[in-house]
Amino acid sequence: MFLINCPYCGERDQSEFSAGGEAHIIRPKQPTELSDDQWAEYLFMRKNIKGVQFERWNHAHGCRKWFNMVRDTSNDKIHAVYKMGEKPPIK
Amino acid sequence: MLNFNTPIIDTKEYSEIKISEIEPILKINLRGKSRDFVTKIGKELSIITPVDPNTSSSNEKFNLLWLSPDEWFLYSNDKIDIKDANVLENKLFNEISKVKLGSVTNVSDHWIMINLRGAKIFELLSAGCPFNFNNFKNSKGAVTQTLINHIDVIIHNKNVNDLNLFVRRSFSAHLWSWMNDSARFI
Repeated sequence: MFLINCPYCGERDQSEFSAGGEAHIIRPKQPTELSDDQWAEYLFMRKNIKGVQFERWNHAHGCRKWFNMVRDTSNDKIHAVYKMGEKPPIK
Repeated sequence: MLNFNTPIIDTKEYSEIKISEIEPILKINLRGKSRDFVTKIGKELSIITPVDPNTSSSNEKFNLLWLSPDEWFLYSNDKIDIKDANVLENKLFNEISKVKLGSVTNVSDHWIMINLRGAKIFELLSAGCPFNFNNFKNSKGAVTQTLINHIDVIIHNKNVNDLNLFVRRSFSAHLWSWMNDSARFI
């Protein structure tokens, strides 16, 4: 259990949120030109690394807004939270 | 609001906790992003649209709760006549939805309003809720959406030790049972 600072509602318990996987995955501009392997790579393959990861989260039981989060998956330390469309505050 | 039926119709009292279902109450969900939409709501309802997170505004007839940056929840202070509800809904629909400023949805049947009063109401809610009520209980008009016993709720802090809780109709009987069961041990 940990606290997440929703960019809209403020600090809330993690149980109010749902994780939406890796963030900043860019949709290919011409999907029809991709091979099946390339399309599968875009659609299914995620890093899921141990360490600092850029993720999408949804405040499912609050404002129901999506946002991005930089989280260390090994200890759940949150380095940054930022709105959709904004650039990551750290690299 | 045809054939309005409420699932609870009850009031229970415990030591410093009073729980009562209050229905029928007019409830309308308003969604929109433009500044014109925010201005229009204020003008039509004679109420200031709350734009700060977790806040609300009220007048003698209505309460308007902030739910998200583009969503608000309107509910009446008093029990209403179904005809009056339809008149207001149509008025807002014509002024907002029809001109594509935003959306107006009558959710009077979707949500059930439960009023909680007494010095121990926050102890009751905290028994099954991950939300920190420390600042909330001292902020008149504060609003939050959270979980109680894994059930989605909207909580409006109307006054000191007096709050209105909204729960989806299908979950209301279960939440009502849980609250009554938990209140006996507080």
